[in-house]
Amino acid sequence: MSSSRRAPAPPISGKNCDEPVLDYKDVDNLRRFLTVHGQILSRKRTGYCAQCQKALKQAVKRARHLSLLPFVG
Amino acid sequence: MFLLDNQMVREDWNKAKAVVLDLLQKHGAKLKTARRWDERKLAYPIDGRKRATFLLTYAEMENEHLVAFRRDLELNERILRYLMIQVDQVPEGELEKAQAESAADFVVPAPPADDAPDPEKPAPERRPEDDVQVPDLDLMAVEEN
Repeated sequence: MSSSRRAPAPPISGKNCDEPVLDYKDVDNLRRFLTVHGQILSRKRTGYCAQCQKALKQAVKRARHLSLLPFVG
Repeated sequence: MFLLDNQMVREDWNKAKAVVLDLLQKHGAKLKTARRWDERKLAYPIDGRKRATFLLTYAEMENEHLVAFRRDLELNERILRYLMIQVDQVPEGELEKAQAESAADFVVPAPPADDAPDPEKPAPERRPEDDVQVPDLDLMAVEEN
């Protein structure tokens, strides 16, 4: 019996995170890691290690504070 | 990074910049660079403003001055928001960009009106179904009779 589960989508950051430069001013890059509702994607979807995911979270939160990115929607 | 009121920027960019630089100087900061980063539509309105100008500065300041500096920033109505973060060094190219702004021929473009559309997001194209004329049903009923 074949499984009905769909194969997971490949991570956005590629296979390895390679210490990405995540800057709060680089809004277009940060948008790739948000859902349509403005939520930060999980590590499973971004493909980042814990350290890089934390850097992503920090950058998104800084951009939200400066109204460069929305909190919701 | 400081968010400046576009009304103040429209009047005079140098005066708007001086509002922040004077505060930095008042609190004993050693200024490295200061430049206009961008003017853009905000993701959500701040104090009723939908657009703002971003001023990016790099400066050195002693820890004991930070609280008073923050208080002055909060009290200033022309500074919509600010973000202060600690960096090891001024990024490469930042000095050159700041120097380009201080050149005599540098002109700061006037910020658009608050309700101006975002140039990054063009207006949606008009669909053919938007032009469909809805018939007047009352008039049709009269013609049938």
